[in-house]
Amino acid sequence: MNILVCIKQVPDMESKFKVAASGTWYDNQDLAWRMNEYDEYAVEQAVRLKEQVKDAELTVLCIGSDKVKETMKKALAMGCDRGAHIDDGESWAKEPFEIAGIIAEYAKDKNFDVIFTGMQSQDRGSGQVGVLVAEMLDLPCVSTIVDFAFDGGAIKAKRELEGGVKANVTVQTPALVTCQLGLNTPRYPTLPNIMKAKKKPMESIAVADVLKVDARMETAAMYFPEKKGGGLVLEGEAGDLADKLIAILKDKTSVLK
Amino acid sequence: MKILLIAEYRDGQLLSGYSELLGFAENMGAETAMFVVGSDAALPAYGGKLYLADAAACGEFNPDLHKQMILDVVAKEQPDMVAFSHSSYGWDLAPRVAYGMKAAQVSEVVEVKDGAMVVPVCNSKLRRTVTCKTAQTVVTLQAGAFTPVEADGSPAVEKVAVDGQGRVVFEGYEEAEAGGVDLSKAEVIVSAGRGIGKADNVEMIAALAKALGGEYGASRPVVDSEWVEHNRQVGTTGQTVAPKLYLACGISGAIQHLAGMKKSEFVVAVNTDKDAPISEVADVLVVADLLQFVPALTEKVEAL
Amino acid sequence: MEFTREIYWNVGHGAATLVPMYLLVVVAVGVVVWAFIKKREVYRQGLPLERTDQLGSRIGSMLENAVFQKKVTQVKVPGLFHGIFFWGWFILLIGTTLIVIQADFTDLLFGYKFLVGNFYKVFSITLDIAGLASIIFLGALFIRRYFFRPEGLETKRDDAIMHGLMTIILLTGFVIEGSRMAVTELGTPVALWSPVGHLLAQSMAWLGEDALRLVHKLTWWFHLLLVMGFIALIPFTKFRHILTTSVNYIFADRGPKGKLRSLDLEDEDAETFGATSVKELTWKDIFDADACTLCKRCQDRCPAWTTDKPLSPMKVVNQIGEVAYNEPEANLIETLSRDVLWSCTTCRACQEICPASIEHVSKIVDVRRSLVLMEGEFPDEATMAAMEATEVNGNPLGLGYAARGDWAAELGVKTLAEDPEVDVLYFVGCYASFDKRNIAVAKSFIKLCEAAGVKVGILGKEEKCCGEPMRKMGNEYLYQSLAMENVELINGYGIKKIVTTCPHCYNTLEKDYRDFELEAEVESYTVFLERLLKSGSLKIKSEGLECTYHDSCYLGRHNDVYDAPRSLIEAAGGTIREMDKNRAEGFCCSAGGGRIMAEEKIGERINVKRVNMALETGAPTLVSNCPFCLTMFEDGVKGAEAEDKLRPRDIAELLAERL
Repeated sequence: MNILVCIKQVPDMESKFKVAASGTWYDNQDLAWRMNEYDEYAVEQAVRLKEQVKDAELTVLCIGSDKVKETMKKALAMGCDRGAHIDDGESWAKEPFEIAGIIAEYAKDKNFDVIFTGMQSQDRGSGQVGVLVAEMLDLPCVSTIVDFAFDGGAIKAKRELEGGVKANVTVQTPALVTCQLGLNTPRYPTLPNIMKAKKKPMESIAVADVLKVDARMETAAMYFPEKKGGGLVLEGEAGDLADKLIAILKDKTSVLK
Repeated sequence: MKILLIAEYRDGQLLSGYSELLGFAENMGAETAMFVVGSDAALPAYGGKLYLADAAACGEFNPDLHKQMILDVVAKEQPDMVAFSHSSYGWDLAPRVAYGMKAAQVSEVVEVKDGAMVVPVCNSKLRRTVTCKTAQTVVTLQAGAFTPVEADGSPAVEKVAVDGQGRVVFEGYEEAEAGGVDLSKAEVIVSAGRGIGKADNVEMIAALAKALGGEYGASRPVVDSEWVEHNRQVGTTGQTVAPKLYLACGISGAIQHLAGMKKSEFVVAVNTDKDAPISEVADVLVVADLLQFVPALTEKVEAL
Repeated sequence: MEFTREIYWNVGHGAATLVPMYLLVVVAVGVVVWAFIKKREVYRQGLPLERTDQLGSRIGSMLENAVFQKKVTQVKVPGLFHGIFFWGWFILLIGTTLIVIQADFTDLLFGYKFLVGNFYKVFSITLDIAGLASIIFLGALFIRRYFFRPEGLETKRDDAIMHGLMTIILLTGFVIEGSRMAVTELGTPVALWSPVGHLLAQSMAWLGEDALRLVHKLTWWFHLLLVMGFIALIPFTKFRHILTTSVNYIFADRGPKGKLRSLDLEDEDAETFGATSVKELTWKDIFDADACTLCKRCQDRCPAWTTDKPLSPMKVVNQIGEVAYNEPEANLIETLSRDVLWSCTTCRACQEICPASIEHVSKIVDVRRSLVLMEGEFPDEATMAAMEATEVNGNPLGLGYAARGDWAAELGVKTLAEDPEVDVLYFVGCYASFDKRNIAVAKSFIKLCEAAGVKVGILGKEEKCCGEPMRKMGNEYLYQSLAMENVELINGYGIKKIVTTCPHCYNTLEKDYRDFELEAEVESYTVFLERLLKSGSLKIKSEGLECTYHDSCYLGRHNDVYDAPRSLIEAAGGTIREMDKNRAEGFCCSAGGGRIMAEEKIGERINVKRVNMALETGAPTLVSNCPFCLTMFEDGVKGAEAEDKLRPRDIAELLAERL
């Protein structure tokens, strides 16, 4: 079986963001980088599928500069067999259609039985790439899964809907799934696996070789939203703040009458 | 400008999100047509043209078929834009439709600024404006971002034929764990976010909720960590609430959470970070360590 | 008459006595030697460990502890009981040896006798008193074990055999003496130099010479058999501790206290990391089980055990031994159990008090290494999240690394990147950099340095977690990557001196970082400030303060810094109302061993227990010297609902207020 998992390296959301000089993206100074949280669940599920099927080869793909190899190593340490690094120093400037195009171009002749992606990225968060890749490869796709089971060529998954409701779906492989938080518990890589990961094959492909589509949109500007006025900010000692808040609640709401 | 609005139907009910789609169209000054896979028995209050496919025939969830039917309607109506709600149905279907239309797709629009779409970035800390290069565009709209329009009237219904099977087989819904608390009925909700630090601190949140005569809820990370049961989750994948008072403790304000409580009458956020996105919807932001503030507030409220 | 006695009187000094006697000795000793050769195979299942450096000093240490019972008598009851009993027995042993030397050697071969005259008088009375003291204190130990039944003290058949055998040996010794004296010494001045024997002789005299001689002879052989039995039983009962515990003093850990063994993570051939079975522990870890006398002093002081967690350091040590002997392939994680392994706070109370030089902590950390490095397991999700946060942002709190130096901005403290010319590098640590309560301590420390004219620099956003909590949890890989980065950075700046306000950072930089060749001198802020105070560079007003002081585990037991903080508090005008458990007996706050990252789910809360100990002193302030302790006490005070009774503070805060 041939499995692909697509991951993205994103900044840690605790970082203090600044707008870059260009005004069209965030500045990458003083940022800590990590694997997109949704992709961690995708990698874990892909590894579990490989462990279940046993005779399977699992590739992890990531687009970006050399820096993303760090994150790819984590995926390899979690259990992926090989890495496909699409070398692109400007990946942050690309929009979902281009990203999907790159992935689809890479995957099109490789007969993947299952492709895993995260449901969305923590930075851009458009949630389109996975579904677009499926469309480009003409694969059936289930998005936002919180449960995954594979049985003889069929995937049984649960989609997470609003209000805690889930939808049961079945799809035949080859197929693509996008993973939601809580799908599983991503494993912590063991040291022998971290060491093996260093030796696993890592293929580097120039992005120019696989980018065959044009962008359909672009970011005109990135900025911090204005603070909506009217929000009162209270600071001070816990006890005083409590008194102040109670006074406000009595005044502005009917809650403490 | 003409916008094709995609309404949603689930479990035999028409979802109310379509009125926000109408609000968006009004904002854009556009004429509209609507599409839904639903039934005659649950038609939207909408005076325009409604393309209706029978949910019983093709299934409430069937991305391949729904996509094909929408593309057929698009071919007929030639809209400039197709608008979905940014919901589990919308964000799944929109990219497929956009691909079929060779159109750009903008996800989770929160605002339209000078004609450009504005979307959130990095957990809602930033915004970006997007310009599209294709003639037609597909958008998904963030829940609660556009004022719903109280439309009336009955639509002019045109039936859409269902053709084929679809590769994704829908086997039915699974309800959320039953017998839980119904946060939508609570007048006061005190919610716990990751900032509470550990499971043991849920107690103090529950205590404050009790003192205020309400219920306690939580953001997604707290539920994922199993500190609080799922039916207390507030947010797009949990419950949507609109209490008189919503107290968000240690919640940064990720979009998915905001969407679930934005309609609260009065919002107080307790957070050590003055710049947390929750401050945008908060009427009062208490900049304090919740571990100090919450017990202090509880004590004083109990003493009232 | 001559002050002496006939050795082998009544028994006979010929071959009929000597041959069987020495044969029995050879057999008994042979059994011991054979048994220990077999035991050595069991010990050798473990990894090699070099413990023969400074051999002379090690042997000296052994003699000091074995002969003078130094560690044993540290705890008066039953330590002193054992001490006196042991000295009595030991003196009897010396006495018997002297007899053998004279009877079978100097007298036999050279006709030289030294057990005569004044020497004999001293000899005689010493042995009698020794024997009596032995019986009395062995009896006291018996009463303690069988009647008072101290909690947690396991009593097995082994103990009964030992008590029985030793008591009968001692009693028969006196019977032999008494029956002899009844025939040969009654009414002579010699008798007075064996007062116990004399009393016994007087009570036995009525038997008459023939009966007495029979009793004497039979008892003599019986006593010999018992003693030979005692020797032969050494390897098979707790008697083994006579040899194993003494030997353990020789092989004790002399390394810097609390410094863990580094794993060679570059080793490409290594297939396992950490200890999954006894084969991955060292031979000393297996030997420690044989050196253990189940005295339970470690268990009594373990903060986990005394708050109803299943961890008993004593049990861990012994289970390892059991497995090494009976089932060496057994998985240590399953044998010891996860709850036990994760409960340890590495406070070192066990190791510090252990009278057998057993190393409890490293065993637990070695198995934790197996859990983390081989299984990717942690005590709970919170810990895994903290590890991942440290990988991404260099701190377990998960806060953005770029803001690490922000706390110092308004104080005008520069980072080394801005100005590397400093007197001292202040290694701030994660809590003092990011946690609001502890930032106050960092700021206080800066104020004190400024007042003393010391130019301080910090690493700011370049600083990463020292890695200590991760290391103690078993994540040796993460620890080593953090350590190597920090060392390279600090050495790169050419720093000569580092001061820390966190004892965990202090212990790790001062000891563990030397494996990575950290060059700078490292000092704890308490020692640093005390020196500044003494030299007059730092001036503090004395303003009265009633307080109690908590000795943190990592400054206290790990580094023996007990006095400097106290003199600082006194200089600040503080009067300390000491808790019962203070100094080396201090009770852990619960956050050590990496547990600051974890959640406490089992039993009573350790930090609340410690806060209650502080409340008992009646002092309104609880002073500590560690960010973990401070954090735990703030939480514990709330848990004990004593917010208005006790205020946790750090020494630096007290001093800064009194500038």
